[in-house]
Amino acid sequence: MSETTERKRSEVADVDRSLYDFVMSEEGYERYADGLTPDIVRAISEKKDEPAWMLEMRLKALDVFHEMRMADNWGPDTSGLDMDHISTYVSPKTKQARDWDDVPEDIKTTFERLGIPEAERESLAGVGAQYDSEIVYHNMREEVAEQGVIYTTIEDALHDPQWEPVVHQYFGKLIPMRDHKFAALHYAVWSGGSFVYVPEGVTLSYPLQSYFRLNASGAGQFEHTLIIVEPGADLHFIEGCSAPKYYEANLHAGAVELYVKDHARLRYSTIENWSKNMYNLNTKRATVGADSRMEWVSGSFGSHVSYLYPTTILQGARSTCEFTGITFAGATQDLDTGCKVILNGADTTASVDTKSISKDGGVNTFRSSVVIGAKAERARATVSCSSLMLDDISRSDTIPAMDVRCGSASVGHEATIGRISDDTILYLMSRGCSEAEARTMVVNGFANPVSKELPLEYAVISRRRRFRTSTCRPRRPGTTCASTRFPSRSRRPSPKARSSRACRASSTRSRPASAPKPPHGSWPRRVTPATSRSRPA
Amino acid sequence: MSDTLLTIDGLSAGTEDKPILHNVSLSVSSGETHVLMGPNGAGKSTLGHVIMGDPAYQVSGGSIYFDGQDITELAPDKRSLAGIFLSYQAPVEVPGVPLYSFLRTICQMRPELKTTARKFRQRVNEICEQLSLPDSFLTRELNVGFSGGEKKKIEMLQLLLLRPKLAILDETDSGLDVDALSIVSRGIEAYRKDCDGALIVITHNTRILERLDVDRAHVMVHGHLVADGPASLIDEIDAEGFGRFEAAIEGGAQ
Amino acid sequence: MASSGDSRYLEVKAGVKREEPIVVDIDASAGEAKDTGVLVREGAEATVVVAVHGAGAEDTTSASLVRIIAERGAKVSLVEIVAAGSDARHLEGVGIDAAENAVVECRQYALGGAKVAVGFATNLAGTSARLNLDMRYLVDEGATLDVNHVCRQRGRVTRSQITTSGILKEHAKKTMRETIDLIHGAKGAVGNEIETVLIAGDHVVNKTLPVILCDEDDVQGNHGASIGSVSPEQLAYLADRGISGEEATALFARAIFDDAVIHAPEASSRAAALSRAEEFLGAEMARDVAEGLGLTESEESAR
Repeated sequence: MSETTERKRSEVADVDRSLYDFVMSEEGYERYADGLTPDIVRAISEKKDEPAWMLEMRLKALDVFHEMRMADNWGPDTSGLDMDHISTYVSPKTKQARDWDDVPEDIKTTFERLGIPEAERESLAGVGAQYDSEIVYHNMREEVAEQGVIYTTIEDALHDPQWEPVVHQYFGKLIPMRDHKFAALHYAVWSGGSFVYVPEGVTLSYPLQSYFRLNASGAGQFEHTLIIVEPGADLHFIEGCSAPKYYEANLHAGAVELYVKDHARLRYSTIENWSKNMYNLNTKRATVGADSRMEWVSGSFGSHVSYLYPTTILQGARSTCEFTGITFAGATQDLDTGCKVILNGADTTASVDTKSISKDGGVNTFRSSVVIGAKAERARATVSCSSLMLDDISRSDTIPAMDVRCGSASVGHEATIGRISDDTILYLMSRGCSEAEARTMVVNGFANPVSKELPLEYAVISRRRRFRTSTCRPRRPGTTCASTRFPSRSRRPSPKARSSRACRASSTRSRPASAPKPPHGSWPRRVTPATSRSRPA
Repeated sequence: MSDTLLTIDGLSAGTEDKPILHNVSLSVSSGETHVLMGPNGAGKSTLGHVIMGDPAYQVSGGSIYFDGQDITELAPDKRSLAGIFLSYQAPVEVPGVPLYSFLRTICQMRPELKTTARKFRQRVNEICEQLSLPDSFLTRELNVGFSGGEKKKIEMLQLLLLRPKLAILDETDSGLDVDALSIVSRGIEAYRKDCDGALIVITHNTRILERLDVDRAHVMVHGHLVADGPASLIDEIDAEGFGRFEAAIEGGAQ
Repeated sequence: MASSGDSRYLEVKAGVKREEPIVVDIDASAGEAKDTGVLVREGAEATVVVAVHGAGAEDTTSASLVRIIAERGAKVSLVEIVAAGSDARHLEGVGIDAAENAVVECRQYALGGAKVAVGFATNLAGTSARLNLDMRYLVDEGATLDVNHVCRQRGRVTRSQITTSGILKEHAKKTMRETIDLIHGAKGAVGNEIETVLIAGDHVVNKTLPVILCDEDDVQGNHGASIGSVSPEQLAYLADRGISGEEATALFARAIFDDAVIHAPEASSRAAALSRAEEFLGAEMARDVAEGLGLTESEESAR
């Protein structure tokens, strides 16, 4: 055994790899054609030693799952999901690969290209437990505990007599199991996820990150995250990390429930960068009290198919929601993302700003919904969505819906779709940039307002017991020159923060691993017959 | 005698739909200041763009030599690195790219301008002061939300930073108020003094020329270079307009 | 639907600039339903007018279906004035196919009716084909308006501009779907949609779905929507000129009728608009509209 694994690991919950090891009984379960039987669900619950109400909820959800139909003709194609054998997503095969050798070549190569240190690769592939990150997680928990903040897993909270009733009060109330078929599946087989409780008036000076906790409790595909921010409190939570996570079983049906009470603030940053085989059907919802603020920052780069619409319910008067997102769809990807805001309280405001980039045949669909209830006097919402097409084989659709039922409310919406204009390329080239550099500059500039908010770095172990340092600058797959750094919005300035982001811009000059290829033919593309490559319609 | 920097020989060019420039020839030597005048639609801007290599225009005849090199087929970025600068009439906006980052990038890619961040910062501040550009401009996105006059000043900022051998100023004076005009003129003077660069000023009104020491003036009408003369040609245009040149073109054939 | 419609098919021969508008007159009270096909040949010009008027009747829905084929270089102007009475039900359908360099200008006015549905689909098939669609609407108290505009741009350098604006009164329900479909191969195409909604009452349901589908990179697609009530700044300005909040809404509504009457190319459409103006704005203001636009007494009474 290597030296690392010999070090004490007893303070952190061991990865329970046996969680999904069970023998399927064939008897009497014909109606469960897909093999996902109540026995399996019971076995999961038993292994976790859950209270009776949770088991009951799981079994009910299982019934609902079998009852509900898939939505027809709506959203990206999910025929690749084997609905007839849904239990296989939950069964032994769904564990993370046991061995580094089992991890597919292309995933290993991606990790390499992203410059992820070897020590982390195994952990992100779910193979080994990352010792050091567990220690950091543990330390993080200790520090925040001093302020009365609880940061643990839902399973652990359920075993704690002080917190079990709290979980019971909130779990599953914001996202009902009938919301959609995969919400039902989620409630039947959920496992893992963060439970965060911030007491009244407490402000955490740095973000909590789920990255560390991930490995401590196993499979992340059916995670349930529950965060409660009590009145007057303030929290920044970061979910995910920029390196792609690899899972053999390719269904992610997680749920995130966020409760923001009065005069409070929650900032929820996510990077969704699942591996390219993944069906990412994630449901996230927040409810916001009076005078409070909900901020979403979301970057979607991975997955084969995504359905992702973080939803905010502005229930309390004068509450606000700000959503900033970027979605990047490359080859083989069909990402249907957006956001929903429901404005119920008076004087509420919502602002949505998203960007999307499509390339190499990727399909991007921006789907949003702004609903202003009859009682939302003087509510205001603005939605702005820009899409950039980098070639003529990709797709970008914008489907925004606005439903306004209050006379004094106002909604503004604007969307643009297009490509990088030839004039812009010329201007930059006339200052010496090559065509590829000019294109990269424009794409980075396009993404900038959003990407600068994203927590792109994932933190790595620190010998000095810091909670977040960045020694790694992963590049977003498909884009280039990401060596320009985007510091995340931590409210405590990172000790390594340099004086000006502008000084680092010189790195846009560096040659990235994969520069975007100029689209079919080279710039400029002309429409007139002489040089046009397309045939007349 | 200074060397010939730019030689345009019998250049004809246009878009796919129509020819614009007809058999234009002119040459500019290092350090000289040339003025290109003509009525609206004469093709002056087009000539500037063709020299820069804008692929919107195709060269159908003739050649362009710069600094001993045939650049007729060369891509615009290579021409820029070779020392040609075109200041645009209406610079495009490039959202999301802070001005400072942009300036740093384009300077770092030129070996003769590469320098430390500190020195670079100093140089940029110096020039901003010269041009009365507030520091706050540097963090704003490239050309986004700037007024016409501000955009022109940013073009001047780039001119002074890049120190090109040849600067083509396309209607740089258009749309400027008196103060902005004076600053732009100052920028041009500084360029001439500091870099001894060659200049082609494209304009159809002569105000900006008042403070310049012009070596040669050219007149273009309907895509033809119809007159070529010393600075006094400018005074003639001032007094009489382009009438006689236009008449000559319309009257005589081509 | 009461009576089965009469179908009509007209052809405007190549190069002909047809002066007389092709009129589709629909009497909502009789539940008329008409199907009209218009073939505008190469280089020809024609105007098509749909005028829907009359009070509603029980269990009666009127309908109009217009199909227009605009060949190369044709210019078609379509004016639809749906000005049925406040209890009428009407279905309005338009389908247009535009070839190379064809220009289609449409003005739609949904001025009345208890339940009105408007479907409009255009296929900009040929290079440089263009569509300008301008819609104004007034959804009265408790009325429902359901609109679906679709513009498919297949040809290169095609252009579409869809602008809609209108007013919703108390308990009005409106659904507006605009789709610009930039189909692969439509290089250089530009599609714009703009919607402005004035909510002038409570218990209103306004649903807006401006969709852009884009399968081609060398295009520009834009849409903007602005939904709300008269802004405080606008109200202040109007108050300074002596116009109260309610009068402001009436002002905007009147502007819609003014616009409809100006653009009505012939008598029956004009009459339909004026008749509805009287119902909505009241006799006095309606007369004012007519007079202000220089319409004579005789025209007014020819209803």
